[in-house]
Amino acid sequence: MKNILEIRNLSHAYDQAGSIIKDFNFSLKKGEIVSILGPSGIGKTTLLRIVAGLEDVMDGEVIISEKVASKKNFLLPPEKRNLGLVVEDRALFPHLNIEKNVMFGISHIQERESLAQEYLSLFKVADLSKKYPHEISAGQQQRVAFARALITNPDILLLDEPFGALDKNLKEELHEETKKIFKNKDLSVLLVTHDEEEAKYFSDRIIEFQEDKIFIR
Amino acid sequence: MRSSKIFSVWHGIPLFILLFFLAPILIILSSVFADYSENWSHIYEYVLGDYILNSLILVSGVSLIVMIIGSLTAWLVSNYQFFGKRFFEWGLILPLAIPPYILAYTFTGLFDSYGTMNEIARSLFNLEQNEMLFPNIRNIYGAIIVFSFTLYPYVYLICRTAFLNQSRSMFEVGRTLGLSQASIFLKLALPLVRPALIAGTMIVAMETLSDFGAVDHFAISTFTTGIFRTWYGMYDLTTAMQLASMLLIFITFCLVIERTSRKNANYSTIGSNFKPTQVTRLGSLGSFVCFFVCFIPIFIGFILPILEILNWSLRFNTSFFNEQFFSISLNTVLLSILSAILCTFIAMIINFSIRYKNSSVIKSINPFLNIGYAVPGLILAVGIVQLFVFLDNNILNSFELIFAYIIKSYALANSTYEAGYQKISQTIDDSARVLKSTGLNLLFRVHFPILKTSFFTSILLVTSEVVKELPATLILRPFNFETLAVSTYIYASEERMVEAAAPATAIILIGLIPIFFISQMIRASRLEKS
Repeated sequence: MKNILEIRNLSHAYDQAGSIIKDFNFSLKKGEIVSILGPSGIGKTTLLRIVAGLEDVMDGEVIISEKVASKKNFLLPPEKRNLGLVVEDRALFPHLNIEKNVMFGISHIQERESLAQEYLSLFKVADLSKKYPHEISAGQQQRVAFARALITNPDILLLDEPFGALDKNLKEELHEETKKIFKNKDLSVLLVTHDEEEAKYFSDRIIEFQEDKIFIR
Repeated sequence: MRSSKIFSVWHGIPLFILLFFLAPILIILSSVFADYSENWSHIYEYVLGDYILNSLILVSGVSLIVMIIGSLTAWLVSNYQFFGKRFFEWGLILPLAIPPYILAYTFTGLFDSYGTMNEIARSLFNLEQNEMLFPNIRNIYGAIIVFSFTLYPYVYLICRTAFLNQSRSMFEVGRTLGLSQASIFLKLALPLVRPALIAGTMIVAMETLSDFGAVDHFAISTFTTGIFRTWYGMYDLTTAMQLASMLLIFITFCLVIERTSRKNANYSTIGSNFKPTQVTRLGSLGSFVCFFVCFIPIFIGFILPILEILNWSLRFNTSFFNEQFFSISLNTVLLSILSAILCTFIAMIINFSIRYKNSSVIKSINPFLNIGYAVPGLILAVGIVQLFVFLDNNILNSFELIFAYIIKSYALANSTYEAGYQKISQTIDDSARVLKSTGLNLLFRVHFPILKTSFFTSILLVTSEVVKELPATLILRPFNFETLAVSTYIYASEERMVEAAAPATAIILIGLIPIFFISQMIRASRLEKS
């Protein structure tokens, strides 16, 4: 199976004082779900942002779909990487209703409305399509965020603590549903989490970030 | 494919705007190296000393009074519960709606030998026609009163925030060490808000040095009246610019102190074990004293001038809202709104560029764009005239005027946008970019709709600021073009005070717009604390 994402000898630091990611190598296969596990401030989110093209790399390479996306002094912008991103605070656009939020990334497609309904139904929030983000619950917002990310048919889905703000029952319910959807759609997923249980349940592989060490399970 | 660090249009636009904003100021400063004419020698020999001395007396007197009024009233409303406290919290900023030149005109109407107050005194105490109870106000001491009672709210606002951020524990320790309430204010609270106090006072000093209307009406020789006379009386633009350079040095000095103090303004404030101030409920006498102390500044700075304008209006009842007034109002509103929209757009583009590119170059440009608020309107006007010396028709004159308004008001629009952007999470941008929304698409599909409130707030605030601007308008306005400020100035300088009522009332009403917004912020902070 071919690699959809490859990270080669990646090093990154916020300042010259010290690197938070050093000489990191990693690959993600098509349809694989991998979790990056570790405590806060260890560089997990930074790694995700580097893959998304939201941060430059200081050294090393990021290769997406066999094309160099980032290396020193070079950055393919996020909008050209065909990725999906879901973050802990959902980042739904507050001025758009749910349907328009989901259609945001496919505004150039003619069948956008039917496609939006399809994805809203997939995540069980079709009846909320005319509501605004502040009018629905955190769990429902997270479902909308997943629908918005998946509707663009991304090569890789990046998840940054997507279940972090949810209570235990809701989290378990969403874990089950989303994992099923990801597997059905054969999606490649990179999940950042500090929750070991979540990582174990969700992933085919776990990369554990600890101070000065990276373990692959 | 591109590098993220590449120089883009989002870097170019801010740099281009910076060049335009700084050009008039640099032109003024460059005059220092020009030849010095005979007029300069005359000014240097006979009047420069007066300009410097009067400016220093004015700034020192005003600074002392605003420090006392601003800090004392802020301390009372932050720490005591007394009759009218909720009103005073925002009511103390009401004088900001009245520009110093309008207070100067109304005070002349009130306290001149045949002014309203002396007329009332004569009829009450059966005084002779040549006897006066109230002294002449058209002198430097009168000017100090005028500036102090219109500008103290700057000190009040910044001190109130600083006092509210002081921890109760510190005062409790002070009390156990034997300090009285008054000593706590003087020995603990006040020294701890010193940076805030200095920052507020420096804003007042800059406003005082920048004023033209009030000092001109009181016939006080200061830098601004000197620049105006040199230009319009001696027709010597170069010497006017050389004088303006000297004033700019004074202003820069105040600006540096203000910026430094503002940075340190938080040194006494919220820490990890912060306990909010406990408001002390006062007895009847204490409540009365606090009410009186807070009421006096509002009475002098807002109620009294309003009463005098009402008095003028009643005497001018036949043609208060005549055709000329409506035409001037329309001129003013159109010009102000157009300037406000352009200024807000510039603030939007700059703040978007900072956010979008996250570039240290653009970030470092913004503080320089902000300095326009400190540059007197008169100096800006001189610089702009010199910059566009080749323009000579009415439409292009309007452009010069709008340009001056934009430079002067940019800081206001920028602070509104900065506050708005602080409320949008970076993840919104990240998500939008991953969904292929970049550049103008990101600006108009995501940021603009989210920041709609900031956009309209900025337009309202800048409009109300522009309406009040006198010296730049006076110099740069197209031929035969009047605004409310110019109309008020012309009537007042011709001693037709009664006729100044209509434009002055309109200016004050428009000036109440920012007061409304600040009062809403005060209300919101009160709700947050409770």
